[in-house]
Amino acid sequence: MPLKLAVIGQQMEQMAESAATFVPVQERFVEQAQALLRRIPADALCDKLDSQRLQQPRIPWLVASPLGSMSGAVHAPAPPAEVCVVGGDASSIAPDRHSSLRYYVLNVGVAALTYGSHPDARLGSDSQLCFRDEDLYLFPDKRDVPLEGTLLGTRMEAESLRALQRATQSATLPTVALRDGPLILWTLQNESELVQSSMLHAFLESMSVLQQASIPLGGYISFSDAHDVANSLRVWLCQGRPNACERCDSEERDLCMALAKIHDRELFSFLSDGQRSELFGSSSQILKLYGEHRVAFFYLNVGGEIARIETPLWVATDPALLGLLHAATYDQCRRSSGFPPYPPALLEAHEQAVITSAERRLIEEMVERAMAGLGLSVKRSAKDDSKRRRGV
Amino acid sequence: MMIGEIIETMSTGFVAESFELNQPPALGSFVVVHAPSAGPSVELYAVVTNGRTVGVDPSRRPIRQSTAAVFDQAIYEHQPQLKHTLRTEFSAALVGWATEGRIRQHLPSRPPPLHFSVHTASEEQVQHFTHSLQYLRLLLQTVAEVSPLQVVAANVREVFERRDQDRDWLCQAAREIAILLKSDHEALLNVLQAIDPGEADPANSALARQSSAIAPDPSRRGSRP
Amino acid sequence: MKHERLGVVVEGTFSAGLTVRLDPGATTEQLRIGDFVVLEGQHNRYFSLISDIQLRVTDPRLLSDPPREGSSFIAQTLAGTTTFATVEVRPMLMLEKVDESSPSELLDRSVGPQAVKTIPMHFAALRQADELDFATVFGREGGKNFALGTPLSMDIPICLRLDRFVERSNGIFGQSGTGKSFLARLIISGVIQSKAAVNLIFDMHDEYSFDKQTEDKRWVKGLRQLFGPQVLIYSLDESLGRRAGRNVDVTLKVGLNQIEEADVVLLSEELNLRQTAEATIGLLHDTFHEQWLLRLLEMSPEELELFCQSSGAHPASVSSLQRNLKRLQRQDYVVKEASFSALDDMVEALDRGKHVILQFGRHNSVLDYVLVANLVTRRVRQRYEDKMRRYEETKEVADQPRTLMITIEEAHKFLNPAVARQTAFGTIAREMRKYNVILLVIDQRPSSIDPEVMSQLGTRVSGKLTEERDIDSVLTGVANRSALRGALESLDTRQQILIMGHAVPMPVTVRTRPFDQAFYAAIGARLQTPEQAGDDIQDLFGDE
Repeated sequence: MPLKLAVIGQQMEQMAESAATFVPVQERFVEQAQALLRRIPADALCDKLDSQRLQQPRIPWLVASPLGSMSGAVHAPAPPAEVCVVGGDASSIAPDRHSSLRYYVLNVGVAALTYGSHPDARLGSDSQLCFRDEDLYLFPDKRDVPLEGTLLGTRMEAESLRALQRATQSATLPTVALRDGPLILWTLQNESELVQSSMLHAFLESMSVLQQASIPLGGYISFSDAHDVANSLRVWLCQGRPNACERCDSEERDLCMALAKIHDRELFSFLSDGQRSELFGSSSQILKLYGEHRVAFFYLNVGGEIARIETPLWVATDPALLGLLHAATYDQCRRSSGFPPYPPALLEAHEQAVITSAERRLIEEMVERAMAGLGLSVKRSAKDDSKRRRGV
Repeated sequence: MMIGEIIETMSTGFVAESFELNQPPALGSFVVVHAPSAGPSVELYAVVTNGRTVGVDPSRRPIRQSTAAVFDQAIYEHQPQLKHTLRTEFSAALVGWATEGRIRQHLPSRPPPLHFSVHTASEEQVQHFTHSLQYLRLLLQTVAEVSPLQVVAANVREVFERRDQDRDWLCQAAREIAILLKSDHEALLNVLQAIDPGEADPANSALARQSSAIAPDPSRRGSRP
Repeated sequence: MKHERLGVVVEGTFSAGLTVRLDPGATTEQLRIGDFVVLEGQHNRYFSLISDIQLRVTDPRLLSDPPREGSSFIAQTLAGTTTFATVEVRPMLMLEKVDESSPSELLDRSVGPQAVKTIPMHFAALRQADELDFATVFGREGGKNFALGTPLSMDIPICLRLDRFVERSNGIFGQSGTGKSFLARLIISGVIQSKAAVNLIFDMHDEYSFDKQTEDKRWVKGLRQLFGPQVLIYSLDESLGRRAGRNVDVTLKVGLNQIEEADVVLLSEELNLRQTAEATIGLLHDTFHEQWLLRLLEMSPEELELFCQSSGAHPASVSSLQRNLKRLQRQDYVVKEASFSALDDMVEALDRGKHVILQFGRHNSVLDYVLVANLVTRRVRQRYEDKMRRYEETKEVADQPRTLMITIEEAHKFLNPAVARQTAFGTIAREMRKYNVILLVIDQRPSSIDPEVMSQLGTRVSGKLTEERDIDSVLTGVANRSALRGALESLDTRQQILIMGHAVPMPVTVRTRPFDQAFYAAIGARLQTPEQAGDDIQDLFGDE
């Protein structure tokens, strides 16, 4: 309530003004960058990227290595007459730091939509109350590494992928598995290898099962912030060192500086409806642990935006699976009624996964009642208490 | 035939969810609920006063799904999840009950229990129940989204068809309504014009054909999540 | 046979009548003003008349916006529900309800329908009267119950109670063309057949005695043909008396000695007398007493002069009077001196149960009619007065004179307010049945009749009347006037009458029975040959 809206309002106007001047300049640079994309031979770039990687210091940015051409565009094939698209999502009630009782709730949502002669939909969710040591700690025996924050996020990803995989188990039709969000779990990159491999275990297991079943998996990222490919262009342009920009006197400096603010989705705006870019590999460190599930990505014009689709190499290198993924994803977006479009399978999966604030409160009450039934009370921290009561 | 399940219940009536999407029972038609009873079986009779289709999640509002190529029924094949994210509800006003062949046309002592099934009334049940016209009085006093005048008119048309175009009954019902609405001429004319059978039968058989076209397919029952 | 329910009582007062809401199935068109209907109360049955019919709506907005589309369904639905009719009903008689399983028991009950003293409660049912109701109220045909006709829409006889009819003077009214003379014929036939009274009829237009052709070219019988020698025909016109098959029994002469002052005064207008006539006559009478007229007419101018000088009469008045009164003398039937014996014999014949019709033949001007009728009636009444006094002394049943009913047409000539006090008729009317003489007045302008006389008329039978004042006049002194007014106004011009008064328990609209073969048979008429008629006269009068 004490938010000073009047002050912020003024500042918002200033923000709008500066954005207005920024945009036209930006557009010019995007055009130049796209021209660059068309010019660069892919293997030459790969060589440069490889050599840079071996040098010190390393490239401070994430770069994308083209697996095909830089500016190639592939039309979406027609989706098969009978196809099933399964979407998965997850949400959670994080552990309450202000409570003496430690638990968290996980809710995964799955939506399996079948198209063709027998259209069908199976929507479901699965919830878990996680309170045991094995849920609360990565290393339960030592009660070490509590699962909270990004680690909890990772657990959610793993659970949702597992649910997604289970939902495709008895598939008889051509099936595509879609996730909301990246397949590259880069949040893990600051953790120790032990933690990383532990957390990734279940995730990668699910991917294996999908691979066995020849079910292509895609991570759908809408309005992606990524500028891997833009960064690669910078590397291409760079005459000296990628981290010595103050000393750069290249004529391409302006473009290079501009590229720092250009997102890949702007770069690939040349894609027409349904077209995807060629595949690119990511330089994210965490991918080292992915093995055969190393994740590549492509950009796709879904008819309203350029989305980033991440997919493991075993899909990227298999034309049939890649084509199925591409066709199904675009088809999903064409069935979407929103703008920009969003795959219905993911939308419904999200709806199944979401936990409302009312439900959150309900869980709290149920826990308190359950505890009270046993004669125990749940203690809360002082701050939490004051937040709840908000007395005057 | 079972057509829905009660999801809200109160002394004056109930709201039920249809088993078939977009196929609530006809406005004004009779539905029956078998009430629990220690003694002989009791059937509660209600008249359908409203039908609507909304998102299952009240926070999700239906949005436009059609395109140039895909519209009307095709949308449901195009978006198979709609069967699960939408639901069709109908409201019904209680107008009486029957037990051991005896019919009473006033509110039952207790509303039907939540989650009990709702059935369309059979020919025999309709014939038997509408023998007395007292229930029209109750129906006219219903408070609902749809004007009770329209509900009564719909009910009379429905019963007229179910009774095999029984003109005698129609005239009796019309007169009963005229007496109930005697001090509101406008309202009365509204209803009479809506139930006027007209001169010949063609219009009536058209109405009958329409009713049967949207009757629910008993073999299909949507899968429930 | 019980009639269906028409509606139920929803409102009403004792003084103003009851309002009945018609059932949805009933239409106003099946009811008429003046219809006899029955209200079934809880304890009583109310025999009533319909006095008004109204249309109503439940919502006044319907009036400003009636349904426009020609939907018969809507019109049919509205009829009787939001649109409905009410009828105003006036109870006339009430009857306490008893066990109704035996209809004959009902009729035999000692206490019949009585005057209305209360009203039924809400929702009492209204129905048409049925045969049993009519019989209960009006009695069955037979004896002194004379069937005058039927209700407008039923085939049940409605009876006039002749014994009560002859207890008072009565009137037959209706605008011209409504069949008053036929009605009179019917009633008189009934009176004759039932011997309720003897009749003296002043037949101005030669209608009652013999065959007459009606407007529709039928021939109807006269009273003489129906009743034979019981009916005596007197006539003023000698020549008429000699027609075949239409024999006159007695030819009457009027003597100047029989004409009294009052007779002349009554004829002021006809004779064109001056205003001074009465005074002049008075003076003549003072001088010459009973011979006044004779002497006046025989007076020479000189005698006249003399008279004026001695009496103080004005010569011009006297001579003008003489001139005007000469007209009297010129009438064929007027002679210088006539004996009253002819009239006295007539009275004796009446007393023996004969009925007399006095024909006027060619002498049927107003002058003749008024003069002769008044004169004869005066004499007859006087004789009756004598007989009555005699009877009061002896108290012998044989001495009691039979009730005599005198029938006069154009009654207003004798009974208008100006002359009502002076005519014999006015006297008779006022005396009520003091000397067993009653009147049957027939007139098409009842408003011209003195109201006091009108109020003495016990039973009034009226055909259609349209003049407001005529209607008012006929309804003088009648209860429930407003109810009957509507009934009178809505009668057909032919064959429909309203009877009210002493001889019927309650006013009722009647379709008169036709005067035809069926009637003749019912009356027990004897069809005579002229020879037989002549024999009968011989029997009566011997050699004349």
